[in-house]
Order: sequence, then structure tokens, then C-alpha cells
Amino acid sequence: MSAVHSEQSHHARYEQITIDRLGFWLFLLSESMLFAGLLASRFYLQGTYRPESLSQLLGLAITSILLVSSLTAYQAESAIAAGDQQTFLRNTLWTILLGVAFTAGVAYEWSQAFLHFPPSTVFGTVFFSMTGMHALHVLSGILLLLLLYRNGRLGKYSAANHWAPEAIVKYWHMVDVVWVFFYVALYLV
Amino acid sequence: METEKEIHETRPAEVRRRGRIVFVALAVLTVLEFAVSVWLGGMLPALALIALAKAALIIIYFMHAGELGAIWRQEWSQ
Repeated sequence: MSAVHSEQSHHARYEQITIDRLGFWLFLLSESMLFAGLLASRFYLQGTYRPESLSQLLGLAITSILLVSSLTAYQAESAIAAGDQQTFLRNTLWTILLGVAFTAGVAYEWSQAFLHFPPSTVFGTVFFSMTGMHALHVLSGILLLLLLYRNGRLGKYSAANHWAPEAIVKYWHMVDVVWVFFYVALYLV
Repeated sequence: METEKEIHETRPAEVRRRGRIVFVALAVLTVLEFAVSVWLGGMLPALALIALAKAALIIIYFMHAGELGAIWRQEWSQ
């Protein structure tokens, strides 16, 4: 009786995690549509125009920070999947710190952008819309990672139960993928 | 055949090594696109191709996009 119940429970859990994953991928797809629209508007409104005052080195620096944070997020997820709590917590904390550093870089970039191409200009509209919407997602990602870190410290995740870390890390990677295209569209063309 | 997610959960050392390799590839591509922008005047087709390659690496290896195939097969086998 117990074995039958256990098997049914395992089956239900497997079905639930499949539904969770599929639903989350659909959520990420819908989010990417928003960013695709912003990306298209950049080229529609301004072509490949880029102001000289936009610092390519700062763009490279914040891109590198976000790239490293993707690695630490990945390592956090793989650690909890293997039941390694300490590595999970350490890498989650690094991801949070790198996310904060990225946000600080964007804030500095904004302070310069207001002087050279304010939101009232066409490029300013494009720049602040794209980086603003992205920064909002980075900030929400940081909040989710903080929640993950807190719950991780309370021992709520394990090798058998790590859907929340998996989903939040996927979200963080989505934010990174968006920046891969925004970086090219804003700083490199 | 093991899915990406199963490898992730059962062979952590291999997964960590793969993560580092993907990260190095991403770093090289980032330097390459910076060089294309600075020295080749920002050729959009080349930059778009590099960006697509970087996005593909993140989606396939870091986000485990392979699990979508497993979900698809599971749904259609019912």
C-alpha cells in the first residue's frame, strides 16, 4: 500500500515538475517578446546611430560582470542539484554581489547619459527604455536571489527539491541573454 | 539517453567543468565582438552572429534548453 502510494506520489511530482518547467519556459518566451520589441524599436528609430559619448569600455565592463554572474548562478544551481549546500550559498551570494555591481554600473552610465543624451532625445528615449526595463529585471532577479539565499540558509532546498533555485537561476540567465543583444545594439554597432 | 537535466543532477564535476568551458567561450566571443566594433567599425551582421552564438551557448548549456525536447516527447507519448 505504502509502495503504491510512494509510486503515485513520485509520478505526481514528476508531472508537476514537468508542468512547472514548461510553464516557466513559456513565461520566459513571453518576456523575451517585450525585449524583442524594445530591440526592434532601437533600430527602427535610430538605425545604427550611436553617440560618441557612450562609453564602450564601461559597456564592456558591465557586460563582463553580468557574464561572470551567469557562471556563478550556474554553479549555484549545479551545486544544489548535487546537494552541496555550501557551494550553493557561496555562489548565490556571488551572483547577488555581481548583480549589484552591474546595477551600480548602469546607474553610473545613467548619470552620464542624462548629461549627453537625456530621455527627451530620440536616442535617450531608446537608451533609457532599454536599459531601464533591463535594470528592472536585474533588480527583481536580485530580490529573488536574496530570497533564495535566505531560504537556502534555512535549509529549504536539497538535491531532491530544487525547483525554486532552478527557476530563479533560469530567470537570471534570461536577463543575461537579453543583455547579450542589448549590449551589441547600444554599445557596439 | 540521459537528458541535460539528468546529467546536471547526477554528475556534478562534469557539469562544473562544462560550465567553465562555456564561460571561457562566452568570454572569448565577448572580446571578439568588442574587437569587431572597435577595429572593424561595428559590422552589424558579424556582431549579430556573435550575439546569437553567445545566446545559444547560454540557452543550451546554462538554461538546459534540451529539457524542452524531453517535455515535448513526454507530452506526445501520452
